[in-house]
Amino acid sequence: MRTDNSGGEVQESITKIDKLIHEPSRYMLMAYLYVVEVADFLFLIRQTGMTWGNLSAHLSKLEAAGYVVIEKEFLGKKPHTTVRLTDEGRNAFEEYRGNMKRVLDNLPAK
Amino acid sequence: MVEDINLKEIQRKVYMTFFQDGLWDIFLGLFILGWGLSILTEAVYLPAVFFTGIYFTIWGIKKWLTYPRIGYVRFSATSRRKITGRFVILGTVVLLLGVIAGVLWGIGARPQWLADYFPLIFNGMLAAIVCLVAYWARVNRFYLHAALIFLGAVFHLWLGIRWEFGFIGAGSIIVLIGVGILIIFLRKYPRMVEEAHIEDRQ
Repeated sequence: MRTDNSGGEVQESITKIDKLIHEPSRYMLMAYLYVVEVADFLFLIRQTGMTWGNLSAHLSKLEAAGYVVIEKEFLGKKPHTTVRLTDEGRNAFEEYRGNMKRVLDNLPAK
Repeated sequence: MVEDINLKEIQRKVYMTFFQDGLWDIFLGLFILGWGLSILTEAVYLPAVFFTGIYFTIWGIKKWLTYPRIGYVRFSATSRRKITGRFVILGTVVLLLGVIAGVLWGIGARPQWLADYFPLIFNGMLAAIVCLVAYWARVNRFYLHAALIFLGAVFHLWLGIRWEFGFIGAGSIIVLIGVGILIIFLRKYPRMVEEAHIEDRQ
C-alpha cells in the first residue's frame, strides 16, 4: 500500500517540477541568487564558470519568467549589471526544492 | 537533505570570496603591528587609529581592486545583520582589551600573577577572537594568524623577547601572508570588463 501511495506522490511531485529551474545551469544561478540579496554579472561568471553569453541567455529566461530582476547601470563609462531574485523566483526555487526532495525521499529503497 | 547541504556549501563559497583577496589578512596584520607599535611608543590610542584607519582604507581598496576582478555581491539583510553584529562585538571586545591593558599598564595597579601572565592572557584572548573569525568565516589560515599572535606572548615569557616585538613580528608575518595571497589573487583574477552581453541577450 505504501508503495502505491508514495508512487502517486512521486508522480505528482514530478509533474510539479519547474522545468525552467530544473536545467542545471539555471538551478545553479538560482541557488547563488537565493543565498544573496544581489550579485553582479561578473560575480556570477566567476562563481559558475559560465561564459557571458551563456549567463545572459539563462538569465534572460529567468527574467522572462519573472524569477529575477536584471538592473543595468553605468559605473563611470563601464556597464554594470546586477541581478536579484524576485519574491516569485524565491518562492519558485523553494517550491522546486520541496518537490525534488519529495521525489527523492519517496523513491522506493533498493 | 542533499539540497540543504548544497545551499549551505554555496553560501560558504560566497562568504569565502570575502577573504579571497588577502586584504583582511593585511588588515589584521597591520592592526596587530599597530598594537605592537602602541606598546613600543606608549601611545594607547594607536590601535583604535589603526583599526578605523585601515578598516575604511581596506573597503576603498576592495572597491577598486577586488570587485572589478571577482564581481560584487551583497549578502541578504539577515546575513549582513548577523555578520555586522558579530564584528561589532569583536571590535568592541578588542578595543576594550586595549583600554584595559592601557589603564592597567598606566596605573601599575595589577596583582602579581596578572603582571606575570598578562601578556599570555592578553595575546590568548586576541588569538581566541581571531580563531572565532576563522571559525565563523571558515578561513583556516586565520588559525595560523591566531597561533602567531599567541606565540608572541610565549616567546616573550619563555625566551625573554620584548612583548611588543612579538606583536610587531606576528603582525609583519600576517601582513606578508596577506600580501602573498593578494599577489596570487591579482594573478589569478585579471580585471574583467562587462561585455556587450546585455544587448546580445535582447
